[in-house]
Amino acid sequence: MRGTQVKTLFWLQTGACGGDSLAILSAEAPSFEQLLLSYGIELLWHPSLSHAPAKRFDALIEDIASGSQKLDILCVEGSIITAPRGTGLFDSYKGRARMDIARSLAERAEFVVAMGTCASFGGVHAASPNPGDCTGMQFNRANPGGLLPAGWRSRSGAPVINIAGCPAHPHAMTQTLAALAEDMPIALDPLNRPSAFFSMLVHQGCTRSEYHEYDIEDAQLGGHACLFFNLGCQGPLTQAVCNDDLWNGVSSKTRAGVPCFGCTAPNFPREADLFTTAKIGDVPLRLPMGVERARYMAYKNLARAAAPQRVKDKEMDV
Amino acid sequence: MARLELNVSLNRVEGDLEIAVALEDGVVAEARTIGTMYRGFEQIMIGRAPRDSLVITPRVCGICGTAHLYSAVLALENAWRLSPPPNATRIRNLCLMAEGLQNDLRQTFLFFSPDFCTSRYAGEPWFDEMTAMFEPFRGAIYLETLAMTRRLVEIVAHFGGQWPHSSYMAPGGVTLPADLRRISACRAVLQEAQRWYEQRIVGAPLDRWLALDRAEDYLAWLDEPLHAASALGALTRCARALGLHRAAAGTGHMLSYGSWRDPLESSPGAGASLLRSGFYDGDAGSVAQLDQELINEHVRHSWFRHYDGGRHPWRGETVPNYQPGGDRYSWAKAPRYGDKAVQTGPLAELLIGGDALIASLHAMEGGGAWLRQFARVRRIAYEFFYAQRMLDELAAEPHGEHFTPPAGSSEADGDGFGLVMAARGALGHWIAIRNGVIERYQIITPTAWNASPRDSAGLPGHWEQSLVGVTVKDPDDPIEIGHIIRSHDPCLVCTVHMLDTGGKVHFGA
Ligand code: SF4
Repeated sequence: MRGTQVKTLFWLQTGACGGDSLAILSAEAPSFEQLLLSYGIELLWHPSLSHAPAKRFDALIEDIASGSQKLDILCVEGSIITAPRGTGLFDSYKGRARMDIARSLAERAEFVVAMGTCASFGGVHAASPNPGDCTGMQFNRANPGGLLPAGWRSRSGAPVINIAGCPAHPHAMTQTLAALAEDMPIALDPLNRPSAFFSMLVHQGCTRSEYHEYDIEDAQLGGHACLFFNLGCQGPLTQAVCNDDLWNGVSSKTRAGVPCFGCTAPNFPREADLFTTAKIGDVPLRLPMGVERARYMAYKNLARAAAPQRVKDKEMDV
Repeated sequence: MARLELNVSLNRVEGDLEIAVALEDGVVAEARTIGTMYRGFEQIMIGRAPRDSLVITPRVCGICGTAHLYSAVLALENAWRLSPPPNATRIRNLCLMAEGLQNDLRQTFLFFSPDFCTSRYAGEPWFDEMTAMFEPFRGAIYLETLAMTRRLVEIVAHFGGQWPHSSYMAPGGVTLPADLRRISACRAVLQEAQRWYEQRIVGAPLDRWLALDRAEDYLAWLDEPLHAASALGALTRCARALGLHRAAAGTGHMLSYGSWRDPLESSPGAGASLLRSGFYDGDAGSVAQLDQELINEHVRHSWFRHYDGGRHPWRGETVPNYQPGGDRYSWAKAPRYGDKAVQTGPLAELLIGGDALIASLHAMEGGGAWLRQFARVRRIAYEFFYAQRMLDELAAEPHGEHFTPPAGSSEADGDGFGLVMAARGALGHWIAIRNGVIERYQIITPTAWNASPRDSAGLPGHWEQSLVGVTVKDPDDPIEIGHIIRSHDPCLVCTVHMLDTGGKVHFGA
């Protein structure tokens, strides 16, 4: 262990479904319990796992606010609910808006980590018409500035670290926490996501990619082929490790024939039929990241003509 | 008489929960459960493509997204008159069972049992034993539960790609067939988990445990060394020593939508279940056939625009009207079956479904916090039993259809409902599709039944009833309320409701 001191961690749930808390329990390298047992992280509070009575929560938020309890890592799970009319009282704790608790803890934390797309960008609760006036900790969808302004920095000088994903990938969560425990530097992308987990595309490593190469596409769910042209797959546009570091150690949505819905992106869930690919003529409106439209079509036509029979016949299992 | 108003917040439940109780001489005279969070899920559904419900609604809850997905797909199949092929139902069931196993183990050993390890009980004779098993991140069973539940959700990942939050059930079937590799991998996980359950949790082979059918026999079994040393044996002794078998029966009426669909007897969106559905009338002591038309929701004590009486979810209305300080006190609506407040969960599921041991214990000493928790551990045996059966059937017919593509213009307008038994009890989705998009979507979660506030007639919900009469020794640490509420496996993120935005919200005066 490089980090020499015990690091305190406080996990706050705001407008959440608990999915990130459940997902993190699936991490294996390291597991959540390993972080506590051998990485020197002291869990001050987790709403589902702490066994102290709730009044300990009250005391902790007071002590952290007053500075008598140090806070190294604040994890926030869930959208920040600001309704009605900016009061935040649609998500209250003993009459106090939870968004105020989130803000006051963030002011004291060395690092603030948004666990999941909700806390990062607003997520599913912020989808139109956004009934709870939900936003993220430091982004509102793709726009800088959420509960906290764009220029805000935690005590360590870092912005809110966004572990996007609905839910966040288990290892994106525990490996980031392990890095914080060990004082490793964490490079962030323009959306303040740790680059280590958000530079690959979901498309990389998808077992359907040979079908994609030869432009053999399914028109219905339940098949073997690629889901990009018809079924709304966002894999070639979505940065996440899902097809490299498999979920629960065994699979990914696209491997299971479920289109990637782009859940690590700030616009998740997009305002569209999620199982359909929007097209201009025959061509998807949104092409794989960085691809030029004219070249893409030329290449696809060639590829389809060159497809081997086993691919055309969709003989390969995925 | 000393009257004390107490506001209790509970952690180690999914979501946020506050309970207002009035204590008279230390005994709960009145309770109000308060849902404090509001996200507006059903509103987000309006105007979206019908299939989007498969992506959005599992995100209602991180711990039972598979159950929401199952309800959502059944509602669509009901609206579109589709029946999935048998193998699709087997795979759906298998995944729901895996999610149930995960939930039942975590709820029991990570959420409920740690309450017995708090310093309040340091002087009790069972304290060291409970701590050795259940202390968070130290106890042996606690750590084993973390490891084993991590394995069990692999089953969902094999078919759905990930757990939680995937969308692998679609109208017409599932996205991936069973094959030799997936069947073998799932079987390996189940066998490992089942052996652990037999050895560490109940101390007996599954068939012997399932064959146990009389209350007296179970009580005698408590002295058998293997069971006595098991997690359930220890939990039972401790919970009964605290009197939790006599506490908090709540309403005697129970509701089950039936456990897992029968692969061979499916009709669009419904069909027969492996353990039967029904309404258990606590006054008559008998089970009546389920009739979803009898379900309605009241808003008299909730922060919504008033309407008279109760409304069926297809006619439901949810216009928020937030007015703190009056006699409305929750974001949860009050669902009723006919005019009855009911409880739902594993106790309801097994009692209605015909488990003889649960029926015998219930007949002997009524329902209570211990029996509710005991039923959850008992249900695990059914989940193992039927999960193995689903795998056997898939293995016998591995090339059977897993998906029947819906014909041409399948996304027709119509109404549908989907009812499943989620880990926490009866979960229903109701959808209305007009002009090809969702016009209405209503969800009634298990916790909505249990955490119901008072209805139009002033009748308290199940938790509110079960807390009355409970003695609270230390108002600063009302752990008795924790035992009771946690025995229901509460999930407050589940008290979803539709919300209109902006101008219609009244806040304060
Ligand atoms: S299914 Fe999606 S992720 Fe997989 S190859 Fe096709 S486009 Fe790429």
